[in-house]
Amino acid sequence: MVIVPLLLLLGAAFSPVQSGRIDLGDLNYSNFVNVWKEAEFGRHLLVSLRLCTLVVAITLVITTLAAYAIAILNVPGSKWIFTIILAGLMIPLESILVPLYFTLRAMPFGGGATTLLIAHVGLNVSFGVFWMRAAFLAIPKSLIESASIDGASPFKTFRMIVLPLTKPALITLGLLTFLWTWNDYFLAVILITDPDQLPVTLAIGEFATKYSNKYNLMSAAAVLVALPVVTLYIFFQRKFIQGVLTGALKG
Amino acid sequence: MRIMSASPSIARKKKKSGSKIGFLYLLPALIAYGYVVIVPTFQSLWFSFFKWNGITEAQWVGLNNYIGFLSNPLIKQAFSHTLVLILFYSVLPISLGLLSAALISKTQIRFSGFFRSVIFLPQILTSVVIAVIWRQIFSTDGILNDALRAVGLESLTQPWLGSFTFTLPVLGLAGSWTTMGLCMLLFISGTANISTELYDAAKLDGAGAIREFFSVTLPGLRPQLAVAMTLTLIAALRVFDLVWLTTRGGPGTSSITPSVLLYSKAFTQSDVGAGAAIGVLLAILALVVALVIVRVMDDKD
Repeated sequence: MVIVPLLLLLGAAFSPVQSGRIDLGDLNYSNFVNVWKEAEFGRHLLVSLRLCTLVVAITLVITTLAAYAIAILNVPGSKWIFTIILAGLMIPLESILVPLYFTLRAMPFGGGATTLLIAHVGLNVSFGVFWMRAAFLAIPKSLIESASIDGASPFKTFRMIVLPLTKPALITLGLLTFLWTWNDYFLAVILITDPDQLPVTLAIGEFATKYSNKYNLMSAAAVLVALPVVTLYIFFQRKFIQGVLTGALKG
Repeated sequence: MRIMSASPSIARKKKKSGSKIGFLYLLPALIAYGYVVIVPTFQSLWFSFFKWNGITEAQWVGLNNYIGFLSNPLIKQAFSHTLVLILFYSVLPISLGLLSAALISKTQIRFSGFFRSVIFLPQILTSVVIAVIWRQIFSTDGILNDALRAVGLESLTQPWLGSFTFTLPVLGLAGSWTTMGLCMLLFISGTANISTELYDAAKLDGAGAIREFFSVTLPGLRPQLAVAMTLTLIAALRVFDLVWLTTRGGPGTSSITPSVLLYSKAFTQSDVGAGAAIGVLLAILALVVALVIVRVMDDKD
């Protein structure tokens, strides 16, 4: 029941007929070539890749630092700071979108990919801090204590002990951040106005509207968009499932 | 603090500079979070008290945006569609998930890694891909109409996504498809954690399959049920991408959802206050859903 629609999509992507009807004797990959050319897929792919890389990198850096301050350094007030950050998991995107649009549009880079970058990073803080804090709390206290007795600075402890010990959690967070950023459509459709900076989901969405009766081309486009995430999913399946189920509450 | 006080010299150091430095660690995240999430949350509430076209000066209208909703047929329609979507996004997948969990727990079949990966796959696909899949199945010369023709039900063929009656259920089915695998996965792996002693005890008591399901399986799956409900209900409440990519709420307004209405109010009809107010309503509803689920799940204990 789950797999049939997926197979139909794959079949249609290789179908030479517009309706996407599948004829196993006559499959070719020209749809992919056509989509790549007509939708300028390469350019949008680069926009998305750059966006995702930056979002993942910035998210990992700022949320691990914050989680370290909360879980290990126990900065004064970290309890209520954490509560406020957690509250973000309960706020649906819809309820911040309208003002966010007006704030970001007024920026010099308004309408470009930078607005998306900022929005994604900000939206990832709650889950990232929540996720990394839990991982940091699982580190045996004695390890951190002995490091500080040995005279390691808080930052050195962070880099040499805390981060290496929580590598699996970091990888999961990175994968999820990539997934959410790559898959996003809603934020992009509202925040991006510059046609040169459309991420790939949006570009393909517009492509699909323009060629709404060429189902074979549309399917090829869809397969191309899904490919990076599906590839990652094949390799890190467990991490994805575990992360998505925990991150499900993320607005 | 617990850690630092382990050694007196470090504790002293911490008092001097530790908290300041610690705060620096927090700062980047707090700035990003404040700018993107916290400030706009309050702004949304503030905007919702105004009549504003996004350009000229806003006019304070108090609660009028909300009061206007009470007599606005479009809002009512959008939220009634949400109820329909809840059936498809939540009720149907959860029921099927529970059913499959019950059946599988009886047969003791371990379900394979491949099966796991496939049923979860729709969760990681982007909405554009899902929209393309379902548009293709339900298009005028799509596979469904082909199948109907093949079995001689030509009279039933139609442009499903152009129909006032069928568009919403068809989109709902696409939603069921995306959430079903997740529910099955949750419940099937959940039953693996239920102690077999409970099942043995139920059998000794002479419980049939149905009694066993309601007295052992269902209570044992309570945590998974809470996750599945929160997830699918909030997904149903927020439906946007799928509708926007297929019908834009049409034909007419027959598949409009609150999020689509928010979009068109705030960004195409220049009624920013009303758009923000819909956002606030959605936030409140999401909160209520989460709180009710937590309460109900706790009460049963």
